[in-house]
Amino acid sequence: MKVSRLVIALTLSVALVASVSFAASAASSKAAKVGSAAAGAGKCGLGNGKKATGAPIKIGGIDMLIPGVDFTTIGKTAKAYFDCVNDNGGINGRPIKYILYNEQLNPAQEAALARKLITSDKVVGIVGNTSFAECGTNWKYYKSKGYVVIGAGVQAECYSTPSFAEVNSGPRYSNVGAAQALVKAGIKKLAIASPDTISAYADGGPALVAKKAGIPVKIFPTHLPVTDATSQLIQMYQFAGDGGGILIDFTPDTAPAFMKAAEAQGIVDKVKWGSSTPIANTFMSGQFSPEFDGHLWIDNEFSNVDPKVGPDSALMFKILQKYAPKIAPQAFAQMGFLDGKFATNALLSIKGAITAKSYNAAVVALKNQKSDILCKPFYVGKLPYHIPNNTNIIVDYKDKNVVVKNGCTDFQAVDKSIAQTRVWEKQYHLNGK
Amino acid sequence: MTSSLAFSVFGVDWQFLKPFIVIGLAFGGVYALSGVGLVVLYRATGVLNVAFGAIGAAGALIAYYIVNHTGWPHWLAYTICVLFGGVTNLAYGMIFGPAFSRRDALVKMMGTLGLALILLGLMAWRAPAGGAFARFLPLGTSQTHYTILKTSVSLTQVIAICLAIAITAAVSVFLRVTRLGTAMRALANDREASAMLGVPVRQVEAAAWFGSGLACGASGLLLPDLLTSLDYSALTFLVISSLAAALIGRLRSLWVTLVGGLLVGVAQSILSPYTNVSAYRSSAPFVLAIVALLYLSRRRVVTISRATT
Repeated sequence: MKVSRLVIALTLSVALVASVSFAASAASSKAAKVGSAAAGAGKCGLGNGKKATGAPIKIGGIDMLIPGVDFTTIGKTAKAYFDCVNDNGGINGRPIKYILYNEQLNPAQEAALARKLITSDKVVGIVGNTSFAECGTNWKYYKSKGYVVIGAGVQAECYSTPSFAEVNSGPRYSNVGAAQALVKAGIKKLAIASPDTISAYADGGPALVAKKAGIPVKIFPTHLPVTDATSQLIQMYQFAGDGGGILIDFTPDTAPAFMKAAEAQGIVDKVKWGSSTPIANTFMSGQFSPEFDGHLWIDNEFSNVDPKVGPDSALMFKILQKYAPKIAPQAFAQMGFLDGKFATNALLSIKGAITAKSYNAAVVALKNQKSDILCKPFYVGKLPYHIPNNTNIIVDYKDKNVVVKNGCTDFQAVDKSIAQTRVWEKQYHLNGK
Repeated sequence: MTSSLAFSVFGVDWQFLKPFIVIGLAFGGVYALSGVGLVVLYRATGVLNVAFGAIGAAGALIAYYIVNHTGWPHWLAYTICVLFGGVTNLAYGMIFGPAFSRRDALVKMMGTLGLALILLGLMAWRAPAGGAFARFLPLGTSQTHYTILKTSVSLTQVIAICLAIAITAAVSVFLRVTRLGTAMRALANDREASAMLGVPVRQVEAAAWFGSGLACGASGLLLPDLLTSLDYSALTFLVISSLAAALIGRLRSLWVTLVGGLLVGVAQSILSPYTNVSAYRSSAPFVLAIVALLYLSRRRVVTISRATT
């Protein structure tokens, strides 16, 4: 009797594991659906097709992963880029070894990981970092060690300290771009929602845009993970009213809950919808009803996610297909791609020994780094802060695709740092002008 | 407001509150549905199953896979989701129930916590949250809307509320008029005496595990639609609201559990427009559960299970 119970237990346990695993694999296989790469793709690093076999060059990264927000896509795509570089001659024969750590929005963990990367792992550079709080936690440490991180920023310190050169505009300025477009579209009121941990910074920018235009604005800091998107959306709609604007600033893990709630509540066409970059991709547009077509003003910090845009876009699709098939082509992948590309360019520009000092000096020396993924070239420079991505596009959904509504436009200089950045760009010819 | 019904409730216009009441009642219906399942299982077996949320979430994930990655009809996916709840619950009860039968209620509950953690781990392993995309399990019924008192109500919301009432009524009748129901009530009253009188304890327990599992599976199917996302961690921890409903029903009364579930749902939702307290609305089930527990203590109701035969 005992034996038969054991057999039943084992059988049912295996069945349970199998059924959950079977169902769960849906997630990854769904994400793996990517478009095919176009011809005419750019090259990874030296692009000579030879596998790098020398002593590895260590690069590190830290990405946040919490329920409702997954930034590891950025580091994973940077790794995919480095893998491609390693298969194409590496850094003059030496492969890049990328060490990526995850953190759970925990400052102690963030500080420990930064120290581990630099003192234990002995990485020469840090690339691909994205977090709600890591910039604030580690910028002084990085500065003291002479590291300049090429990453994708979120919080204020990513754009106001010398330790970071972010390839993206970040949520504040992406929201500014979206708010600017909504105001231009004629909204009468504006409701804005961001994760509560970054709301003050991320929503403060678009609120300034609305106030400057004399439009009433209300901010809805949102705790993640969102467990009742419908209730919050109704509050936002009650404030914005018919013809008003609702601006959502969430990653693809969370934004759809609000958009699905809008569909369920039948209010899609009653307001104008703004969003920051993360939902500007066909993977997202394919998930919503055509009701949203023409009603969206999504600020995209990068070019449209389309292999036909140019050689870098095509290369990104190819790299994802080969080295990270589970990652859907989207803004976070663009960020990781650019992080990898610019770090590789810095490494390849080094004459002599590759050390932390020489690599970070090469990062600071980066300027006029062109890519069809960006409106204007990326740069770093010896500046007290870096906001190289300050020109965005506005996109919309149409027939499950993403279409450009407004081309490259400078977003409003709501902060003095934006105006100052544009002065430096001209003064030091940082992006070739 | 021009309506004659225009008045405010603690500074919020009644017209603004109506949608939140509808949302709250729908969520409350699901909490009540799970809560009734919890009470039936507790009464028949002495087990307070905290794995309800995780089982429902796993069932929903399976339905998600079937809907998105097979050509199978949606109704089959939904049926499998509900049956997964029943079968998993039954399997746990049949395998581990006898081993835990002589242990006290806390140990029995910890056993189900183990099941919840295993399921949560499996889901986190094979379907990690995030991945920079979201999962949905919308039901066709969410496309159908009615306007009641100038408030939009979806068919899914109507189903959630009506199903909770119907299941509560059906289970109440079942417990009163059928032999199995009578046996369940007998077990709840005095397990040892019932066994001595020939009540087939294992079969009755099996029926309770399976039946309550079906309620759990149905909740797992409805919640992703109401939440507009399939977040397995959120679904797993929504069992807290169902537990609060069951505690309000003193783990005895099905109808009070129903009312408790609706109360928890409405309390959580209706606090949304009140800016000063909306940040704390997720604690509503805890507060209501604590009040219920204090009430139970006041009445000196002992909830420790008795040893079984």
